[in-house]
Amino acid sequence: MSEHLTGHADAYRSGRALGIQPLKLGMWLFLASEVMFFGGLISAFLHYKVNNPSPESGLLDVPLVGVNTFLLLTSSFTVVLGLTAIRQGDRRGLIRFLAATALLGAAFLGGQAYEFVSLYGHGVTLNGSLFGSSFFTLTGFHGLHVLIGLVWALSTLAGAARGRYTADRFEGVEVFGLYWHFVDVVWIVLFTIIYLV
Amino acid sequence: MATHNVQAHAGPRRLTYAIVFLILAALTAIEIALSLLAVDPGLRTPVFLILSLAKASLVAAFFMHLRQDSRLYTFVFIVPVILFVLFAGLMLIP
Repeated sequence: MSEHLTGHADAYRSGRALGIQPLKLGMWLFLASEVMFFGGLISAFLHYKVNNPSPESGLLDVPLVGVNTFLLLTSSFTVVLGLTAIRQGDRRGLIRFLAATALLGAAFLGGQAYEFVSLYGHGVTLNGSLFGSSFFTLTGFHGLHVLIGLVWALSTLAGAARGRYTADRFEGVEVFGLYWHFVDVVWIVLFTIIYLV
Repeated sequence: MATHNVQAHAGPRRLTYAIVFLILAALTAIEIALSLLAVDPGLRTPVFLILSLAKASLVAAFFMHLRQDSRLYTFVFIVPVILFVLFAGLMLIP
């Protein structure tokens, strides 16, 4: 039994020596599964877009969504600034940048809600057409990921306020950042495929 | 000493992040401007795809630290991405 445990401890130390952090590896594995999740939805959207082009896509407001894209890109920037701050032991800086991230995430969701209401006003609904179904499913699931990220940002912010993170202990911030940046990467792809191409 | 090293590295790191952010913002502005111009879709679609790939790669390499972290993370992430690109590419066939 003790040999078994020693084996695990050795494997853990070997992984650390190679620069592999278990929490980060776990997050990357989760993000890999998320690529497949969004991959299915994006592929379905592309299939409908190529085979059943809809005039409803002309109702999409590219400048508005462009502003939203800019908000999400800026929120990724504030996350890395927060991480840099805590690496220096600047807890106040981390709190400030996490608060900015949460605000930018909330603004993105506000913009998305406005877009959804506007499209519904034009008769584009979740069950009204193939375009509506694939559009709202894809962007809706992305919005849900932003919402989860927003809750996580606030939770990380609360942890930072309680002194959970220091210059030597910031893995929790880093892992949150990986998730948030991934959501940003997904949006970069969605913005191109849904609104530009 | 350790604190000094961390602080010495934080400045350049912040500058790198700021440059990456400015490039991302500029590429997004180009995309929006291009979408408003009456450019042939056959011409602008590849440009949009290349710009999108460049932006996603910049975020992954710099903000997600794949450039400096263990190659294992890159491998774990890139395999499903390649599968996705292949699969999504097949969807473009009418």
